[in-house]
Amino acid sequence: MTATMGDPAAGAGPVEPWDGERGPAQKPEEPSLSAGEWLGRNLFSSPVNSLLTVVFSLLVLLAVRGLLNFTFSEERTWRAVKTNMRFLFTHAYPQDQYARIWVCVGAIAVLSGLSVGLLARAGRGISMKKLSMNLMATGGVIALGIVLREPSAIVDDEGVALHRDASAAGGDSFVGWLDANAFAVLVVLVLANVALAVWFHLQGTYLRGGPEPRTAHGALVLVSVGVLIVQQYATGEVVRESFADAMSDRAWWWLAAALLAGAGAALWLGLGDARRRNTFVPAMYVFFVGAGVMVLSAWVYPWGHYGFLEGEFINEPGRTVAMTTKLPWTVMLVLLVATFELGRVLRAAGAGPKLRVPLNLLWVLTPFVLYWAVLRDPDLDWDHVLSTDLPMAVFFAAFGGLVVWFLAHPRIGEAGRVIAVVLVAVAALNWVAAYFGWYPMLQKARISFLLLAVVALLAHNFAGDRAQRMKLVAVWVATMAVFHWLVTLVNSPSTVDTPTDALIGGFGITLIVAVFTLLLAFPMGVLLALARTSKLPIFRVLSTAYIEVFRGVPLITVLFFFTLIFNLFLPDNMTLVDIAGATIGFSLFSAAYLAENVRGGLQAVRRGQYEASDAVGFTTVQRTLFIVLPQALRVSIPPLVGQVIATFKETSLLAIVGIFDFLRIADKVISAQSEFLGVKREGLLFVSFIYWIFAYNMSKHSQRLEKRLGVGER
Amino acid sequence: MSVSDATTALTEELAARDDMIVCEGVNKWFGDFQALDGITAVIKEREVVVVLGPSGSGKSTWIRCINRLEAHQEGRIVIDGVELTNDLRNIEKIRSEVGMVFQQFNLFPHLTVLDNIMLAPIWVRKKPKGEAEELARSLLERVGIPEQAEKYPGQLSGGQQQRVAIARALAMEPRIMLFDEPTSALDPEMIKEVLDVMKELATSGMTMMVVTHEMGFAREVADRVIFMEDGQIVETGTPEHFFTNPQEERTKLFLSQIL
Amino acid sequence: MSNTDQATLAATQSQRPPFYRDVTVVKWLAQVFTLLLVVFALFFLTTQALENLDRQGIEIKYDFLSIGLGSDLREGIDTDPDTAGRALWAGAVNTLRIAAGGIVAATILGVLIGVGRLSSNWIVSRMCSVFIETVRNIPLLVQIVFIWALVATFPDVELDQGPINGLLHVSNKGVSVPRVHIDDGFYQWLIFIAAGWLVGSFVKRRQERRHDATGRDTYPVLSFLAVLAVFGAVGWVAHPIFGWVGAIFDFIGDGFSSLTPVIVQVVLSLAALAAAAWWIRRFLARLRTPAGLMKLTDDDKFRIIFAGVGALAVIAFVLVGWPGLSSWIINSGTDLLGVIADKFGDGRTGRPIDIKAPDVEQVGRFPNPGPAGLNLTQGGAAVFFGVVLYTASFIAEIVRGGILAVPKGQTEAAQAVGLRRVTMLRRVILPQAFRVILPPLGNQYLNLTKNTSLAIAVGYSDFVQVGQIVYNQTGKTLEVISLWMLFYLACSLTISVVVNFFNIRMKIVER
Repeated sequence: MTATMGDPAAGAGPVEPWDGERGPAQKPEEPSLSAGEWLGRNLFSSPVNSLLTVVFSLLVLLAVRGLLNFTFSEERTWRAVKTNMRFLFTHAYPQDQYARIWVCVGAIAVLSGLSVGLLARAGRGISMKKLSMNLMATGGVIALGIVLREPSAIVDDEGVALHRDASAAGGDSFVGWLDANAFAVLVVLVLANVALAVWFHLQGTYLRGGPEPRTAHGALVLVSVGVLIVQQYATGEVVRESFADAMSDRAWWWLAAALLAGAGAALWLGLGDARRRNTFVPAMYVFFVGAGVMVLSAWVYPWGHYGFLEGEFINEPGRTVAMTTKLPWTVMLVLLVATFELGRVLRAAGAGPKLRVPLNLLWVLTPFVLYWAVLRDPDLDWDHVLSTDLPMAVFFAAFGGLVVWFLAHPRIGEAGRVIAVVLVAVAALNWVAAYFGWYPMLQKARISFLLLAVVALLAHNFAGDRAQRMKLVAVWVATMAVFHWLVTLVNSPSTVDTPTDALIGGFGITLIVAVFTLLLAFPMGVLLALARTSKLPIFRVLSTAYIEVFRGVPLITVLFFFTLIFNLFLPDNMTLVDIAGATIGFSLFSAAYLAENVRGGLQAVRRGQYEASDAVGFTTVQRTLFIVLPQALRVSIPPLVGQVIATFKETSLLAIVGIFDFLRIADKVISAQSEFLGVKREGLLFVSFIYWIFAYNMSKHSQRLEKRLGVGER
Repeated sequence: MSVSDATTALTEELAARDDMIVCEGVNKWFGDFQALDGITAVIKEREVVVVLGPSGSGKSTWIRCINRLEAHQEGRIVIDGVELTNDLRNIEKIRSEVGMVFQQFNLFPHLTVLDNIMLAPIWVRKKPKGEAEELARSLLERVGIPEQAEKYPGQLSGGQQQRVAIARALAMEPRIMLFDEPTSALDPEMIKEVLDVMKELATSGMTMMVVTHEMGFAREVADRVIFMEDGQIVETGTPEHFFTNPQEERTKLFLSQIL
Repeated sequence: MSNTDQATLAATQSQRPPFYRDVTVVKWLAQVFTLLLVVFALFFLTTQALENLDRQGIEIKYDFLSIGLGSDLREGIDTDPDTAGRALWAGAVNTLRIAAGGIVAATILGVLIGVGRLSSNWIVSRMCSVFIETVRNIPLLVQIVFIWALVATFPDVELDQGPINGLLHVSNKGVSVPRVHIDDGFYQWLIFIAAGWLVGSFVKRRQERRHDATGRDTYPVLSFLAVLAVFGAVGWVAHPIFGWVGAIFDFIGDGFSSLTPVIVQVVLSLAALAAAAWWIRRFLARLRTPAGLMKLTDDDKFRIIFAGVGALAVIAFVLVGWPGLSSWIINSGTDLLGVIADKFGDGRTGRPIDIKAPDVEQVGRFPNPGPAGLNLTQGGAAVFFGVVLYTASFIAEIVRGGILAVPKGQTEAAQAVGLRRVTMLRRVILPQAFRVILPPLGNQYLNLTKNTSLAIAVGYSDFVQVGQIVYNQTGKTLEVISLWMLFYLACSLTISVVVNFFNIRMKIVER
């Protein structure tokens, strides 16, 4: 529930999202348990609990071992992923234009840095204790992984593992025996645990909370781990290195584990007293350090140089990554850190509230500018621009500005409504004329007239004194300038030469489609939600029908409709390319879901808010914009973020309708390359990993927001 | 001076003033239930009328009909010479002339106290921002909480919130103020601070219509008391007449229950 | 009241405000304008499409459904369908199969994981969270494609390898398990089961009443099951006696096919009128007060007019818009009744149900899983496990939320009145948790059903994939897409109705 006005107690808590900088009540850290107590309480507290621990830890170890062996197996061709990095992220975007990609990434880095530095709550950050424990745990997990993994196979010059005769397999006595009977041994160990559990239960040790169960069960679990490790060193058909060789081969990993654990331990010991362990570092700095280490490793560690440029496979292991990769990333990180610090400085200077709106506007505009102006590098026809585009923009800016200036007069009264209706009629007439072909007109002029009509209808809601009217006119002129500029860019052909229809592919197109989908779907979703909760029956019926139909059919059918046959529904001279059709399909589909989320928020706005707005004389538009929507949207932020994640994941369906998106590159393109015929799983795992990183972080962020807003708490 | 003399004097004095609210045979149903049954009453300028009655008697419905939070279905309501009909212009005009204070305050939780008060003058009255802020601050001064201007409603006590709500209604410079049980949701110790503001408002000459259960307020401040039951006006009179010498059985029963 | 007051009153007694200031009129004008806009846009798009199709010499017709299809399906009730319609039907059955199986499997897995996440055991709850956080943050399509690539690395299927006629058969062709076959007398046997259900419910109610009256244990549920089992067992042998049921359906079918289109049109039109009349009557009944009908506001009048206009629009559509509708209804109704008559037909004397183990057979050049077992092909396995794991991760979160939503006081109160742990779970905790869980759970079932359409990426012959084959061969893209949407809308509607039914039952239980 949202904050209620009648209940100041509820209003004072973290339930109120709008009360500035106040965070949730700070919970003191729980008192630390000793390791033994922790084990006893969480893992070995009862017979059933102990057995669950034993069985599930075995399952975890088996799963981890399987994953490690799968990942580091000599049969894995990770080179396919490394080589096709650029394909995966941008597909066929030409190499000589690649600077444009970096400009885009840089712009986003700058905006992110500024926004986070300027607007994000610093929060408490990460406690030193948590940080050092996480570092030590990561080091420990890596160390466990190093010993758990099977020894590497010895390969010949071609990279194919050497095999020996089947008769020679099984070699040395004990290890061979263990390998052959590993399953039986593990079963015996589990049974021994069962016997132990029963014994302790009969003795009443669990109830007493004594240390014996955790020691005994723990020891048996450790023995199982030993079995799982030793078993890997049995001699099989494949020739594998010895234990000593395996450990020395993994020296880099040992180093990494030692560094992480060492750093963690240093933090822990260096901050010896408990008070300092409860100090906090901002999360961003932890991120910067992590990213910094990664970027630094690109300059130091021989990751190798792989690539697929102009049809040539580059394959140079044993050197650091290419300059064209490590240099831009270093610049990006520097930009991010610098703008973050700049943001902090501005925030300290109190510029936060003033810069919030322009920054958000920039975020909305950036996708358009980056895609249409930077990535596409449009070839403007200056004759046409000067003869048609510019004059038209100036005309609409001036004419519309006048109309707005006039209609926003406080005492315009009836005349305003008449003028607005006339403008609506003109706008409608333009479209009817287009249908019957009465007179030609540029599409953007029709849209401009429509925009003007809408603005004219709404103008009286925002009427005010001179300053207010000047502001409205300025907003109109700026809108027209941006609109006409973008339309001109869209209408100009691109000079970037790509072999496919789409300008860019891979993860780039995934992101672009997701962003444009959300930008289109969000306003539609809000309007649909308003219509669905409206008291006016026709609005309600139309909106309900729309929402239920789109929620009732699978996304893929919608996408097929818009990529396969939507062009049939358009006038002769118009065609939509697949990517535009797909984006429209995604948007219409997402809008239905977003509408349901916003509706939830609207229903949380109390009736009294509507009554109070009516009583002070707000019009419906003013009530909706100033009172209802701000409250409703605030409540629906967590489900809206959920919908953003869903849309992001759904963009993978682009692969089905034949667009070279992230998934399709991994699934179809790489596995068709002569070097990597049939190599699929590596690419798919990498794609899963990238998707996961994005989706997981968004969902974590949304959970934090949910906690902060107190939504869903009872 | 006898009670009837006082009543006569008041009637004569009132007759000279303008009508602010005129209701003629107002009927309203909620489904089968008739909430208002032939309400006919006139409220004069600068008059303070307290509406009493058991819960469910239609007091709130009536007061909400007067600025059209509910639409009446039959009869006529005329506010300051403007009839309340489906006419958009009339509704706009009446709403900006009639201020309303709710039982649940209904402040806008996402805005500061100052913004709560300034929003309507700026966007409905089209006042310049500076002027609106000046007005808002002076109103906060008047209701006695100038220091709370930058806070959010959730950070205020109930009494303070209700005073902000009164200031918000006053910011529209209304000619009539409607109060719908303004103290019912308040803790006892906060009721007085709100009543004091209302008394001050009454002495300043505001036309007020108050639905309340505060008998003390009715006695002390009201020019006239209207008693309602079952959607009908049962009895009307000056406070002295009403509390000392009620005519109707139903009124007597009601008073015996609450006094 | 003074004279001047009367004068002002009279002056303001304007009959009506001008229409452009009348709240009701303005509201309805805006609505009608929007409606016209939508209608105009749809009209524009449709005429444009018809024009474009006409120019390309294509007609919108559904007759391709009865034309032969040149290719085989990989799996389903009919892998070599005669017509496109039959192929689509096989695809639809495949979709429903995988959706139904998926719903059951995902529910079981989801509940286990959701409960596991609340476990007090650190490793169990951690494992469950890791599963949830991993699976639900990776796009389903990526998972399906990955599982498909993984199945491809399984060993080849060979005639002499692996258990033939065993219980489980895993290969790069997919997974096979034993299968329950609906056999000859199944539908007649169902009549016995239905009768058993009725009698059983009666017995159950009687036992419950005896329990209430005497307080003794009367085992109502067990009695119900016992009655059902007796009926099932008797029916197993005796079902051929219902051979005559088919004739009834034949008779009804004959009657149905002798209807003329005009009659159907009249019936549909009358139904539309009746619906409108019913709505208007109900609407007026709500406005009726003891003092008589309330004065209708303009808003009320607009609503009534729209109900009438809506009915007329439906009638116009039936009579003029699509005159073929009625004969289509007659034909398909007759067909349906014919199929039912056949299923209940005479001479079906075999066993109702048969269970067979999976086998491997070699028809062409390569050995394949045979028809005896329940086979999930490579694509089928990918879709099935993909949607099950993905949906299970969401169901787990819903279950966890639902259990956490039951206030702690409920447990304490139940313990205070001395309920045993099992009784407490069954009678106190679960009913409350279930009420919270059910609506989002229904949504997940819906999502699962829709997500099976991703089968197209791995070539499992579901409704969408078969549809793609059909339009690739016939070029009837628009028609196929319309069938897709209708099919999934019907599925969604069915699931919503079922979930709502339980939802309402839950709410009644609450009181």
